[in-house]
Amino acid sequence: MDSTAIRVENLSKQYWIAGATRRNDTFCDQLTDTIKFICRRKDRPSKEKTSFLALNDISFSIDQGQIVGIIGHNGAGKSTLLKILSQITAPTSGRAEIFGRVGSLLEVGTGFHPELTGRENIYLNGAIIGMTREEINHKFDAIVDFAEVDKFIDTPVKHYSSGMYVRLAFAVSAHLKPEILMIDEVLSVGDLQFQRKCMAYAEELRKNNSTILFVSHNMFAVKSMCSRVILLSQGKISFDGSPVDAIEMYEKESKVSAMPWALNAIGADPSQWDVYVEDIETYNENGQQLCMFNYGERMRIRLKFSVRRTVVNPNFLISFIRSDEVACCNYNTVMDGFTVPILETDGSIELLTPPLNLVSESYSIYVLVRDAKFEHLYCAQVGKSFHVRHDLLNTHFGVFHEQGEWFMPNEAAGYQSCNFTGGQLP
Amino acid sequence: MNTFPVATLRKPSVVIQPHKGLFQLDLLSLWQYRELLYFLVWRDIKVRYKQTAIGASWAVLQPFITMVIFTIIFSRLANISSDGKPYPLFSFAALLPWTYFSQALLRSGNSLVGSANLITKIYFPRLLIPLAASLAPLVDFLFSFIMLILLMVWYGVVPTWGLLALPALILLSLVTALSVGLWLTTLNVKYRDVGHIIPFLIQIWMYGSPVVYSLNMVPEKWRLLYGLNPIVGVIEGFRWAVLGTARPDFMIMTVSSVAMMLLLLGGLVYFKNMEQTFADII
Repeated sequence: MDSTAIRVENLSKQYWIAGATRRNDTFCDQLTDTIKFICRRKDRPSKEKTSFLALNDISFSIDQGQIVGIIGHNGAGKSTLLKILSQITAPTSGRAEIFGRVGSLLEVGTGFHPELTGRENIYLNGAIIGMTREEINHKFDAIVDFAEVDKFIDTPVKHYSSGMYVRLAFAVSAHLKPEILMIDEVLSVGDLQFQRKCMAYAEELRKNNSTILFVSHNMFAVKSMCSRVILLSQGKISFDGSPVDAIEMYEKESKVSAMPWALNAIGADPSQWDVYVEDIETYNENGQQLCMFNYGERMRIRLKFSVRRTVVNPNFLISFIRSDEVACCNYNTVMDGFTVPILETDGSIELLTPPLNLVSESYSIYVLVRDAKFEHLYCAQVGKSFHVRHDLLNTHFGVFHEQGEWFMPNEAAGYQSCNFTGGQLP
Repeated sequence: MNTFPVATLRKPSVVIQPHKGLFQLDLLSLWQYRELLYFLVWRDIKVRYKQTAIGASWAVLQPFITMVIFTIIFSRLANISSDGKPYPLFSFAALLPWTYFSQALLRSGNSLVGSANLITKIYFPRLLIPLAASLAPLVDFLFSFIMLILLMVWYGVVPTWGLLALPALILLSLVTALSVGLWLTTLNVKYRDVGHIIPFLIQIWMYGSPVVYSLNMVPEKWRLLYGLNPIVGVIEGFRWAVLGTARPDFMIMTVSSVAMMLLLLGGLVYFKNMEQTFADII
């Protein structure tokens, strides 16, 4: 039996960039433009110059029950693809077929009205995301239970705490039970707890053989959830296949960028910073370039930097930030007892980490260059991310895992003897 | 819950492709989403008078106060004729459809822009938005209709059989408001100027319609041209239905209806053609 859930054929989406050569956002501009256009036909700006293809001839098909990740750098067309598939915007050419009811966590709380009560908003939001009134009646109690707002169900939601509000909104969406779920993690709002809830919901749907389309920047989530990954770059599919290979390609495409807050602290133009890290490369101990490491493996991080002004006594700092924004560890030249000579010319510096004891997750590398006294900041950038692999250890085990020593103290013999009886580890 | 009827039927539940052709109304999907229409109207009505002290009384007070002002200015000071009926009743009978029309215009004209968060996040037939916005003020209309009945009792006006034409006239005013509203709301997505124009448009439009004066004051030779204003037929019809004034001129009613139909068709085509770009430019 053919069991396609989504079929996409030669899908393209063209956007016109407004304001590049002319503006006609107001009626007046439009009028003057029209008059000019009638008077002098030659002046008509060529349309090719002011348009770009957000999606360029995309074709793929997804089977029912598949969990497909869509990754790509900003502007690659991920969100556009999802918007077309959820019918928010129409394609310029091509065709897509959807087999089944579509839900997207994009619309959590869409159409909630602050003046209406929780009960009223459940009906309104339910109708907006595509439930029938009968269906909402049927699921109403379950939704209220799930959201844990039963005491306030007849209170206008403007009096809700933000937590209650989000819980209620999510509860409605979670009871849609779509056959195809589209998640755009890049666009979804909400705190970490909320995002976890989304993931748990997706997990539950997966068990029910729903098809899931998952747009994310979090490579680890993609890797752990998806059986197939589509990598988009510049509106085209540059890879479609196994998550590990797709992520490897994605990481190769990624560039080092300045941290947004640093633009205020150091200078708006990173190319004028005293020191600028051009590239971050990750290797294993043997010098093989990788971005996925096994737990316990040592890792080499090479920073290639360019220098614009002489920097005396620089202190290089490398931090690992987990995908959920937890700062996990930090290495810096000053505390590690390495003296960097005065920087005058471009060069590179390398860090060999101790065996990685971090739990299985995705980490991005943050690089800071300060002076030895941690007073002056020269450079702050975020670059590649890498992954740590372990079958068992995940974030439930904390940030890192190290082996401890265990004893069963013998009451009679006292503490002293414990060391001798239980102190040996296999 | 997790049966997949689509998998066995092998017909896509949704086909996404660029819209071609000038006229694709897709009334079927409107019908499929009728419950959402109900909820959108219901929301507008519920929210309208939340946190007001006198609530829905505003729906009656607004046309009533306007009627009092009109009576003082146009009847007492300007001495405008009212076809032999008491002027307050004469003007209130016209203010009823007019207030509805202007409210529907104001709300549907701003409806798409006001629903930007819905449009950029989820799909449903966009036509529901201006449609719901035009339907919601009907509730206000019903409230002030009670006021009209009280006024009629006060002035001792006996209703005629023409009253039976009222539902048709209400439908006509709904369609008229929608036909103009569609144009305005679609234009408003791209040109926000429209949002500023609408209040003026309504003000000017009122003086171009027989609200404060009678159609008889318009010179005979200009009447057909005047009838191009689609609300003229509605207002004249209303006066005839409730007050039993002279039966509206057949020609003027025809001209008004044709003008309205053309506006509606044009508005629908324009709306449907722009619909797919709403999410991109709103």
